Amino acid sequence: MNKTVMMSLLVGASLFATDYSKVIEHPDASKMIEKDLLAPPKVFTMPAGCITSDPAAIARGEYIFNNLNGKKAKKNPPKGLSRKQMKPGKTYMSGDKIPPKQYGNCVACHNIEGARGAGNIGPDLTDYKENFIDSGARDYQFVFQKIADARIDNPDTHMTINLTTKLFTPREICDITSFVVAPK
Amino acid sequence: MKTGIKIALSVAMLASLSFGGEQFAMSDADRAMYAEMSENNPADIMIADGEELLSYMGGDEGLAKYLGVSEDELPSYIAGFPRYIKKFDMVVGLDQVLQAMMADGGHKPLKLKSGNMFAMVAYVKSIANDEPINIDVNANPQMKEMYALGEKTFMTKRGGRGLSCNSCHSPDVIGRVLRTQPLPDLSSKGVKAAATWPAYRMTKSSLRTFQRRFQGCMKNALLKVIPLGSKEMVALEIYLTDKAKGSEIAIPGLKR
Ligand code: HEC
Ligand code: HEC
Repeated sequence: MNKTVMMSLLVGASLFATDYSKVIEHPDASKMIEKDLLAPPKVFTMPAGCITSDPAAIARGEYIFNNLNGKKAKKNPPKGLSRKQMKPGKTYMSGDKIPPKQYGNCVACHNIEGARGAGNIGPDLTDYKENFIDSGARDYQFVFQKIADARIDNPDTHMTINLTTKLFTPREICDITSFVVAPK
Repeated sequence: MKTGIKIALSVAMLASLSFGGEQFAMSDADRAMYAEMSENNPADIMIADGEELLSYMGGDEGLAKYLGVSEDELPSYIAGFPRYIKKFDMVVGLDQVLQAMMADGGHKPLKLKSGNMFAMVAYVKSIANDEPINIDVNANPQMKEMYALGEKTFMTKRGGRGLSCNSCHSPDVIGRVLRTQPLPDLSSKGVKAAATWPAYRMTKSSLRTFQRRFQGCMKNALLKVIPLGSKEMVALEIYLTDKAKGSEIAIPGLKR
């Protein structure tokens, strides 16, 4: 091809055929969303010894209830709970960034004994033992399931899903449940 | 060209202002600062920067010409974004139009997430101040499809806590309090949130766009943050802009 023809083709291309899909940013987010989707509702059964009056477990439950994550939390977590989230089975080298552990932030939506700045999107959980457990309205398994995956009881729930998402371990859900149902 | 800057109070802001006490995120000092900023929105300077940047591409006149409308029609045309533009064969927001215009003008397009782009978008949308939002989500199959995608994206539960936008912004939780913050109304008809963005966010000390605001909620609620300009982001903007249809545009907004 001769040089002038090529030149005019190039100029022509830049003048007439702006490929807008190249100049307008429109990144694909569909795969990101797909990977981020919530699994279907799941029924969970409380493991043996789940609900406990062990003060250490209740303290962990209370801490998870009242804090958003390991970075934002002001007070140090109680024994058995960390500020950072290590992946099981992964070897960490010094200097590796370890993400903060996420907690429940239940207080964002629920009031409860000792809560500060509680929200009111969900029901007030103050005096939960007296009002809900002792009265027979709820049992431990119900509370455990509600915290683990609230959709089983209410498909349209606005509540967070805490076990199906693997945000917590079953033991942690037990700690939180133990705190909610404990006498206070 | 009118540049009447209007102050936009969100529902959440009004609620924060009218209640005192520890339950709410706004302290007395915050309220004093808010009152001061309502007189003098810090974003006004950024909007002036945006106007200057647009002037390099011919200003309002150049923009009107690029969009194929007269300067008189420009405000009401802007009040209908995001919209499908045949030349691009895409449904686009104002920021994306500006990128195309920059490229066609021989400039390197600004990134969607750049501060200068936010300033330009804010200026361009302020051209439509006092104009009612007139988005038409049934204008063509492309808009219909995007509206449906926006609704789906709004309703989809995802992320570490299994939440959707709707978990916190459905009509039955509006006005309730999420950890000291009253939940604003985004999704009922005639709600003007979309008419008040881009806005100055006091807690971030910066001018933010509507899509940038969505990213804030995604990050806080542990939903994977999707990029500006993605189909789903534009679709969310369309879905929420349709909710504000008829509301008068008032840029820059002022938010907590
Ligand atoms: C985003 C808001 C939100 C968050 C965060 C949240 N909840 Fe809820 N919760 C709700 C709503 C709304 C309900 C009522 C509707 C329902 O039962 O699904 C509820 C219901 C409950 C109930 C049932 C009360 C009863 O007996 O009827 C319990 C227990 C509970 N939540 C505990 C928790 C715990 C523990 C956490 C944190 C791990 C938490 N919630 C986080 C919104 C929330
Ligand atoms: C866990 C709760 C929660 C979730 C989930 C959530 N938001 Fe929000 N959103 C809030 C709260 C609280 C505010 C008000 C914050 C404030 O006062 O600054 C807010 C504010 C907003 C605003 C600003 C409204 C205005 O003009 O004042 C927009 C827009 C918004 N959210 C969109 C979204 C979108 C889109 C999603 C989903 C991707 C989403 N939100 C998910 C809690 C949430």
